[in-house]
Amino acid sequence: MKTRRWIITGALVFASTVWAGTVVAAYQAIRRFESTPGTAAIAPKTWPARSRVQRAGGAWTLVMLVHPHCSCSRASIKELEAIIDKAPRSVRTHVLVYRPTDFPAGWEKTDVYTAATRLRRTSVLIDENGREAKLFGGFTSGQTFLYDGDGRLRFEGGITLLRGHEGLNSGRADVIRIASTRDGKGAHPVFGCAISTEPARGEKR
Amino acid sequence: MSEITTARAKEIENEQMYTRHVRIDRMFIVLLVVQYIAGIIGALVVSPYAWQGKERVLHMHVWVAILGGAGIIILPILMAIVRPGSLMTRHVIAASQMLSSAMLIHLTGGRIETHFHVFGSLAFLAFYLDWPVIITATVVVAADHFLRGIYWPESVYGVSNPEWWRFLEHAGWVVFEDIFLILSCVIGRREIAASAMRQAEVETLTEQEQLKSAALEMALAEMQATA
Repeated sequence: MKTRRWIITGALVFASTVWAGTVVAAYQAIRRFESTPGTAAIAPKTWPARSRVQRAGGAWTLVMLVHPHCSCSRASIKELEAIIDKAPRSVRTHVLVYRPTDFPAGWEKTDVYTAATRLRRTSVLIDENGREAKLFGGFTSGQTFLYDGDGRLRFEGGITLLRGHEGLNSGRADVIRIASTRDGKGAHPVFGCAISTEPARGEKR
Repeated sequence: MSEITTARAKEIENEQMYTRHVRIDRMFIVLLVVQYIAGIIGALVVSPYAWQGKERVLHMHVWVAILGGAGIIILPILMAIVRPGSLMTRHVIAASQMLSSAMLIHLTGGRIETHFHVFGSLAFLAFYLDWPVIITATVVVAADHFLRGIYWPESVYGVSNPEWWRFLEHAGWVVFEDIFLILSCVIGRREIAASAMRQAEVETLTEQEQLKSAALEMALAEMQATA
């Protein structure tokens, strides 16, 4: 009887320790994961001339790089939708969806891709082997660039507050403000999965 | 009302409350396990992998759902098994249920809709008809918001420099629900006490009637014997 009581007490003490430890460890793990930004872009200050993305002359252009399997990028697409709703209608938007050519066709057709195709006034382009990402200097899914009518970079960074978190944030607010006032510059940390930046065939790294 | 009837009423009330607490402890074992499995399935469906170009690794959310979820439910389940119906078990279950809510909210990327889990959980906890349990759950929610508001405000308020009292606004909505739940607990407890009293009175009356009948039968038997 006494042994049974000791076993129960020991089990409860063990479970209490695990319980308290888990709360602290899970909190730290989630915090580290969600608030650690991806690699910041090394973006050219002007529109990359070799890009296959068509920039309408004189129009402001918004470009977002996404990894189609990055679940965190759902939030980036949602935020992009909010920007498109609030920014001037003249802003052109392009979403560049990463796809390695050695993967089967259709690999990129995920819910992130579908959500991107449903955005208004937006063209979705497949970025084979991350060639365009490399030209724009982006490394992380959700990386967004805003170029003005003269092709000068006005904003670079992410438009979510944390990894996979929707909601008002300074990245989104900056893009809307700059595109609306046509004034100023901005940058924000980007949160998302890494996009391959392996050199495309014939390209130098 | 005799002291014996009052004591018997209290005894009946305690028995009924104990039976109720054990039953609800068991209900929470099932609920905690179901939530645990749902958390893992949710993490696997919503964000199974984190990617680095062509490479993929199991997403952090899946690990948190498996290991963190298990850590959160191990103590309440163990207590519900070895200490069913005890006061401490109820409070540990309340705290764990709220931690499960916090975890589910995180696993869904802080979706507003998942916050309804907190309000649903409070309603489940009210089944205990023990209002301090609701206070424990509320303190856990408020502490979670308060601490995260200090150390990681973006995750809970969406801004990096919220006002210090902001957690009170969030906790206020929980308190709003608490008022009605605590009221329902107090009323429910009174009804159980009244029902126990009625049962005790019936038992007392029945016992008295049985004594009278026995005395009458004895008197009749004596009369027949003398006649």
